[in-house]
Amino acid sequence: MSRGLVPLLIGLALGVIGGLTYAWAIDPVELVGGAPAAMSADAQADYLTLIASAYAATDDLPRAQARLALFSDPNAAETLGALAQARLASGRPVSEAQALARLAGDLGVRPSPPPSPATTASPARPTVSPTITRTPTLRPSPTVSRTPGAPFQIERQELECDPDQTAPRIRVRVLDAAGQGVPGVEVLVLWDTGEDRFYTGLKPELGSGYGDFAMTEGVVYTVRLAESGALVTGLQVQTCTSDSGESYPGSWALDFVQP
Amino acid sequence: MTQLLRNLRFWIGLALGLAGGLLYGWVLHPAAAPTAAPAALRQDYRTDYVLMVAEAYQAEADIDLAVQRLAQLGPASPAAIVDEAVAYANRQGFAASDMELLSRLARDLNAAPAPATASP
Repeated sequence: MSRGLVPLLIGLALGVIGGLTYAWAIDPVELVGGAPAAMSADAQADYLTLIASAYAATDDLPRAQARLALFSDPNAAETLGALAQARLASGRPVSEAQALARLAGDLGVRPSPPPSPATTASPARPTVSPTITRTPTLRPSPTVSRTPGAPFQIERQELECDPDQTAPRIRVRVLDAAGQGVPGVEVLVLWDTGEDRFYTGLKPELGSGYGDFAMTEGVVYTVRLAESGALVTGLQVQTCTSDSGESYPGSWALDFVQP
Repeated sequence: MTQLLRNLRFWIGLALGLAGGLLYGWVLHPAAAPTAAPAALRQDYRTDYVLMVAEAYQAEADIDLAVQRLAQLGPASPAAIVDEAVAYANRQGFAASDMELLSRLARDLNAAPAPATASP
């Protein structure tokens, strides 16, 4: 190699090292003017929670759906349900989990509204292409109704034997007067040495008013709806027998209904 | 003359290496998938974010929580962030009900006491 190229190669090597150091460590790429879907996972979780909190305040499902569409998540209900559980587990305010559970449940209950001229019409916005339209006249009244003063009552308490489900659970369904599942209802589970809670709607694939709790053998549980005081006592693991004579633990199904 | 030529080659190599390193590190292979902070959201998304805060505030009536949420949008004061959103919403012809929500949040933020500062 020509000795004349040595300074060029040394400069090249130093330049590459310097360039990479600057580009990766000192001033890495950041998006400016981005969309919500380009945010970090934590920021997206906060954004989704805010969508749910806004929905809890407005009951405007089309608007919430338009906002969720920014994330192009085909399983938004499941994502919101999982996020609600994660937020609850991390000690975030209960109201956040309730809002997320409610939106997850309502997404599972109600299909996306078909586009109509009223929903697509938007004011002229020359510089940006708006993704969310704002037409307050379209705000629907919520189909999930919780009538104040009409507390939930236990309507069904039944031992369910399913040989495919051998992990015993307390399965709760909370339904409104119209028979629709009610998401975001807090359910307290108490036993001799402790207590726990869960919310309906965190598993929207099983119904917007559904929630469950894993039972331990030998423990006697009491289940109560936080909002109404409806109470079920004396729940414990019961044994079922399959057609072939094998024993397995059953689950308790509890339906709370608003009269 | 030979020394000058060597120096010139070194600097040319350095410049080429630097350009190549930056191109690789910023464009071809960034350090991590680029993410946007909420503060870097596009103006229409920022405005919708503020509108969501205003919608939630309408029901929660918790000004501290609203301030906490608005702080995600950058170091500007919450009132300034909302004013910016109100101006954008005005220009874009947002619905009157949305404008009312934004205005109410702006009004309450301006009426809220300023955060306490440390005394000497």
